[in-house]
Amino acid sequence: MRVSLSLTLCVLLAACNRTPEKTLTIAVNAGVEGTALKLAAREWGAARGVRVEVVELPYANLFEKEQLDLTSKTGAYDVIMLDDPWFPLMLQGSLIAPLPHPLDADFIASCVEVCKDPKHPDVHFAVPYVGNSQLFFYRKDLFAKYGLAAPQTWDDVLGAAKKISAAEKIFGYVMRAAPGNAAVADFMPLLWAFGGDVLDASGKPVCDSAGGVDALKFMLELGKYSPPGYAGFNADEVSAHLLQGTAVMSINWPAWIAAMDDPSKSKVVDKIDFVPMPSERARGVGELGTWLLAVPASSRHSGDAFDFVFWATDPPQMKQAALRGNPPTRRSVFQDPDLIAKFRAFPAQLSSLDAARPRPRTPNWNEIENTFGIYLSKANAGNLDPVAAMHNAAAEIAQIQQRAK
Amino acid sequence: MRSRRIPAGRIPSGLPWVMPAMVVLLALSIYPMIYSVKVSITDATGAFTLANFTRLFHDRVFGAATLQTIVLTIAALGIEFVLGMALALLIDSLARARAVFRAGLLVPMLLPPVVAAVAWRLIYNPQFGALNGTLRWLGLNTAALTWTSGENSALLSVILVDVWEWTPFVFLLLSAGLQAIPTEPIEAARIDGAGAWRIFRDVTLPLLKPTILLALLLRAMDLVRIFDQIFILTQGGPGTATETVSLYIYRTAFRFSNFGYAAAMSFVLLAATMMFSRGLMRLMRAR
Repeated sequence: MRVSLSLTLCVLLAACNRTPEKTLTIAVNAGVEGTALKLAAREWGAARGVRVEVVELPYANLFEKEQLDLTSKTGAYDVIMLDDPWFPLMLQGSLIAPLPHPLDADFIASCVEVCKDPKHPDVHFAVPYVGNSQLFFYRKDLFAKYGLAAPQTWDDVLGAAKKISAAEKIFGYVMRAAPGNAAVADFMPLLWAFGGDVLDASGKPVCDSAGGVDALKFMLELGKYSPPGYAGFNADEVSAHLLQGTAVMSINWPAWIAAMDDPSKSKVVDKIDFVPMPSERARGVGELGTWLLAVPASSRHSGDAFDFVFWATDPPQMKQAALRGNPPTRRSVFQDPDLIAKFRAFPAQLSSLDAARPRPRTPNWNEIENTFGIYLSKANAGNLDPVAAMHNAAAEIAQIQQRAK
Repeated sequence: MRSRRIPAGRIPSGLPWVMPAMVVLLALSIYPMIYSVKVSITDATGAFTLANFTRLFHDRVFGAATLQTIVLTIAALGIEFVLGMALALLIDSLARARAVFRAGLLVPMLLPPVVAAVAWRLIYNPQFGALNGTLRWLGLNTAALTWTSGENSALLSVILVDVWEWTPFVFLLLSAGLQAIPTEPIEAARIDGAGAWRIFRDVTLPLLKPTILLALLLRAMDLVRIFDQIFILTQGGPGTATETVSLYIYRTAFRFSNFGYAAAMSFVLLAATMMFSRGLMRLMRAR
């Protein structure tokens, strides 16, 4: 027994004394955004002679893994890829390392704004990697057939939905109203266009303002032209309707643009056009959904981590990422003639990105979005009238804000 | 009898072999449990508070989630038991091909819950799904059948998926229990002139009671913690129509980063599960 115990101890001690090989660990989203970064990481590792380990996680798990790593300061990840609404929560407690130098002027301003801590506006804590903002997708062939111009306002959208759905026997509009992020993401452009907002500058909920209630009433009106059951829809159901040619218009993310023109997936190749968000009482703006790259303060290889982050976001690499399917965050890359020739939506994407607004910059956004989404989903399912839905949402958001104080 | 007392100052010879298991148990079960208790009764500054537990009483989402968890557990458990028992009796009475039917019935249970939920999400799709497609093919109007998207049909849709996936488990246990029942009491009852229903009620059912209890307990504990199917099928919606306690705990801990409140809810769920199990055992023993 003594012999076996001694042997076990020797093996354990030997394992502990082994000099660790330098490895850069990167957490990425499992999807098109992460795939481009994964390929870039391999190229950087080969060029610098550093072993790179890429941890791919689905969107639903990426946040929780990264947040756990940050708060427990394990240093498991040297670079994290994160969605911009998570950033205010992750910034709490100095868990993200500030960038060693500020971002250059080529980055699009709306993407740079979300890389800052409101308390330290001169310091950047992340580099924007994927320039996502919502776009308005519509069937240009059907609009042309019925003599309609590209929708400029939400009233244009409703009018076109009525006209085309009546004549073509397809759904005039399709939206997602599953509770949580789905319902909120499709409602925010309407809310802003009707002059409403979720929180005011002081963090007080204002979604029950006249603009907010009118926006929800309008959403329910659009719902009449959406497929039955849209109150449970997510992005895949919305895109399935567009791809199958059973719906005319929707709000969507740039990640779905390529699928619309892919004959193996789409029945509407070259029939969909993309424009910035329609206006109404205020200028139309889409939600910003920028993917950022940041270095946790607990990273044990922060020098290499920053080197990789800046390398992956310099203009030549960002062009490579764009060719691999990621919308860029640099103006020069968006305006690259080769890329414009290849990606017909780039001008609309740049225009949308210039105007896009981030979701409210509060560490409690996940909880607020969940609560807000529940009431939007209830209203869209027909179980709550718009005034009560917005009133109840505002009351519960106020409680969330109060608890966080 | 020989004394088994270990002389003072000597380490029991078995201790080194038990130590690894004890360390693992401490690290993976006891420490997290103590840590969970600590975070549930302290605030962000580390001061003692019962706020996480008092919040439960006026949290509307928690209330709705609790109610839905109870409804789902009772409904799914009842249906799975009745169907499982019927299938077990039916297949047990077959003279041939029992193994074939048994193997066929087990297929849903062998699928990972996530895969089953994704498949059902596609089946339930109101426009492109196989369910409404089949109903339309039969000439029925499916315009109002939105399944997982309807406030009134969403919970029922989740229950149907659970019944489809886990009835075979109940069937398997009850079928094994039926085969273990000795034939003598049944034959004696038959000779005494008892009919099929009388034999089932007075002989089969009492002898099957331990197996029924086991099946109901295992399924009840699983149903109270249901997560995968709902996360994929409905995400708790529409509104909070299918929100369950487990889903709400997950959101609170991993989406809102409020581990204290999530731990408090977990302890309430644990207590409720223990009480439910104990109640079920008492009920079964009493009859």
